[in-house]
Amino acid sequence: MLVAAVRRRAWWILLGVVLFAAAAFLPFVTTPFYVRVGQLVLLSSALGLAWTLLGGFAGYWSFGNSAFIGLGAFAAGIFEVELMKGQPWLGFALGLLLGAAISGLAASVVAWPILRLRGIYFAVAMLGISQVLAELNNNIDIFKGSMGLVLPRLSAFGLRPEALYFYLLLIATILITILAFAIQHSRIGAGLMAIREDEDTARMLGVPTERYKVTMFIASAALTGALGVIYAHSLGYITTSSVYRTEFSLNMIVYNLLGGIGTLIGPFLGSAIMVILTQVVLGRLLSIHMFVTGALLVLLVLVAPKGITGLVRALRQRWSAR
Amino acid sequence: MSEPILRLDHVTKRFRGLVATNDVSFEVPEGSICSLIGPNGAGKSTIFNLVTGYLPVSEGSIHFQGRRIEGTPTTDLARAGIARCFQIAKPFPELSVHDNVRIGALFGRDGARDIGAVTRDAMALAGLTERAQTPASELTVGYLRRLELARAIAARPILLLADEPCAGLNATETEDVIDILRDVRARGVTVLLVEHDMQAVMRVSDRIFVIDAGRKIAEGPPEAVANDPHVIAAYLGTDEE
Amino acid sequence: MLALQTIADGLVLGGLYALSAVGFSLIFGVMGVVNLSHGALVMVGAYLAWFFWHALGLDPLVTIPVVMLCLGAFGYVYQRGLIQLAVDRSSHVASMLVTFGVALMLRNTLVLVFSPDLRSITPSYSGHPLLLGGIVIDPVRLAALGASLVLLGALALILNRSRMGRVIRATAQQELAARLCGVNAHHVYGLTFAVAAAFAGAAGAILGIVLPFSPPDEGLWTMNAFVVVTLGGVGSPQGALLGGLLLGVMATGTSQLIGPAFPNAMMFAVLVAMLLIRPSGLLGNAFAGSR
Ligand SMILES: Nc1ncnc2c1ncn2[C@@H]1O[C@H](COP(=O)(O)OP(=O)(O)OP(=O)(O)O)[C@@H](O)[C@H]1O
Ligand SMILES: [Mg+2]
Repeated sequence: MLVAAVRRRAWWILLGVVLFAAAAFLPFVTTPFYVRVGQLVLLSSALGLAWTLLGGFAGYWSFGNSAFIGLGAFAAGIFEVELMKGQPWLGFALGLLLGAAISGLAASVVAWPILRLRGIYFAVAMLGISQVLAELNNNIDIFKGSMGLVLPRLSAFGLRPEALYFYLLLIATILITILAFAIQHSRIGAGLMAIREDEDTARMLGVPTERYKVTMFIASAALTGALGVIYAHSLGYITTSSVYRTEFSLNMIVYNLLGGIGTLIGPFLGSAIMVILTQVVLGRLLSIHMFVTGALLVLLVLVAPKGITGLVRALRQRWSAR
Repeated sequence: MSEPILRLDHVTKRFRGLVATNDVSFEVPEGSICSLIGPNGAGKSTIFNLVTGYLPVSEGSIHFQGRRIEGTPTTDLARAGIARCFQIAKPFPELSVHDNVRIGALFGRDGARDIGAVTRDAMALAGLTERAQTPASELTVGYLRRLELARAIAARPILLLADEPCAGLNATETEDVIDILRDVRARGVTVLLVEHDMQAVMRVSDRIFVIDAGRKIAEGPPEAVANDPHVIAAYLGTDEE
Repeated sequence: MLALQTIADGLVLGGLYALSAVGFSLIFGVMGVVNLSHGALVMVGAYLAWFFWHALGLDPLVTIPVVMLCLGAFGYVYQRGLIQLAVDRSSHVASMLVTFGVALMLRNTLVLVFSPDLRSITPSYSGHPLLLGGIVIDPVRLAALGASLVLLGALALILNRSRMGRVIRATAQQELAARLCGVNAHHVYGLTFAVAAAFAGAAGAILGIVLPFSPPDEGLWTMNAFVVVTLGGVGSPQGALLGGLLLGVMATGTSQLIGPAFPNAMMFAVLVAMLLIRPSGLLGNAFAGSR
């Protein structure tokens, strides 16, 4: 099944490989500012992909995935600071696993009850959970959320920090893309699609809906947690408000919506456009940043409710119909 | 006689005060086409909901291939070989006909090797081959019925529950659906049918169960049921559509 | 005595929560739209009242009708011009994003116009605490609670007794049926939104005399509304009152018993727990029942 899918999309995959390879040269040809923009595009794309495993494939829109960024970041951060002094890379590697594990574990604890909720209720419950975790992180002293944590510095091959994190994020993004592709084109991917379309009917057809939803929820959380660990290191110093950001949760949705929900290029398109627009084009207009983002969001839903990919598809259909 | 595919024993279903299924018992023999008939609101779809595990039974027992199945999750029953077509067609609207049917083939009863072949075969049986790439949301009622059937057939069921597959169809379309059901039976699938089109029911059924207000009021081969005074009084007499 | 004081403080806060949530509840109940810009409307009300007080020296309780009128007009246009379009073009979840976008725009506008600083309104009668049987009561807070209750009562009367109220309730229950009876559903939705926004504005004006505020608070007031609705149920002033008072008492209780940092955590925990245990609200007519 997967082999057939790979063969069918050979051209797209080739394009992806070329683009990723080209991206690897970015730190050599641009200024640190653009490398940081690149970092942000990669991070947003990867977060968007992790979100879409459940949100795009199965139609369960989480409004609280930033909780997993925060959990991953602080789990790894505390672990590395307390137990891994003097071994930054080993600490980072173990921290990555720990961040993913803790996020996945947290997801598996709430998965069963919360995935019984549908639509807006699931979205809101996730928002609530992320707020609870953020408040607890901020107000319970052992988590150091309000004081903040300084993470061990990583360095390798004499790379500048922004280049180093650019590469770490590039690797993470590539891995998540491959994983998402494999899921999308396997049996579970078809099952998730059925759940998104009509969950009751899916159940009648023998799709193990509960198992699939829980699996994807945990996978999505674990990947988001791992990305949170990388993000935390790229910041160097983390507090509750820098990693438990509701804004992240919403961005994941907005980028997917803009690109085209349920697709794999969607998050890439959406992140690239929004990040470049907000960081580069509007970078100097900080005072109306939020206004423009809001206005774009409104326009987006009204003009292209199915995202850019949906718009392209509609245009192509109109074209071929003529 | 061998073990029936499906057996209901004194099954009762209550919704708060309403008794939608009242002490119903019947057996569906292997390889047959049986029909459940009865006026609107008699409780036919409810029986389907109970058999597929979509709703829990209040009392009584249901056996499928000799195994008790009340309380078994819907998903597991589907995988054990119970497929269902809904009274109100429920396609996956954004997916093409082919992808709809393929999901039936991918899941459903275990053991399919070649998903592509099973999908094509089910579409061919239901006469959907030319529409394979049409999005389900653009199908007419007639084709939606076929899609429901094709998706269920692709699941390679042992027992097919078809809830009013001819509702809203004209005479030729009804004829087509009846032919499809016969083909399905010819492949060894047992069919339990709910249908209001009496002519169709009489022609296709081996055995008919008549339900009225949740109770089974008659049972037998088509001729016997058609002449049963209870049935004429309770059903045919009052439901002159 | 401490317990009584906590409850008294909680009730004052609760009245405000109730008033600030009732519009949110109405919108969700009638059209199934989750209005994430509700808190922003509350803040707009607070800033309008602040402006009248600061520039013209008018007491917020006096300017409430003006604030309500302004926001009501805004609400009607907002619904007819934007929300309805979003609902028609995509889905309810997508319409939620539209309201979020508007919240960002409003917040940004408030920052630009009024600066991001903390503001507060101090009417002439503030700062003269009354002692009532050992409980300290600030007249400002008493006035706030009184105003909240009066407004909630008025809304209940409008919904239950007036023609407009009846039409709104009928449309909430059966859009199609109401349409067949000649009701212009879109106009009714616009009216509902207008009423909801007006009451959000009133809550903002009252909020201004009780608590200091700044534009980013809008997120918190939206979340408050959510919790109130999950507690009390959707669509009715009575439900909002129950939910609001409960939330108020819980919030003051938590900060007394566990620590002043925890009311928010508690509030969100209650939100999640309620969604999981009893999504229909305590009175049994909330989320699950309404759609
Ligand atoms: N989930 C439910 N909750 C409460 N009552 C129900 C439920 N499902 C069905 N009923 C009631 O049970 C009775 C039987 O309904 P059912 O749908 O089984 O009838 P039916 O025989 O399939 O009718 P039709 O020919 O119209 O499809 C009806 O009175 C119906 O209102
Ligand atoms: Mg029926």
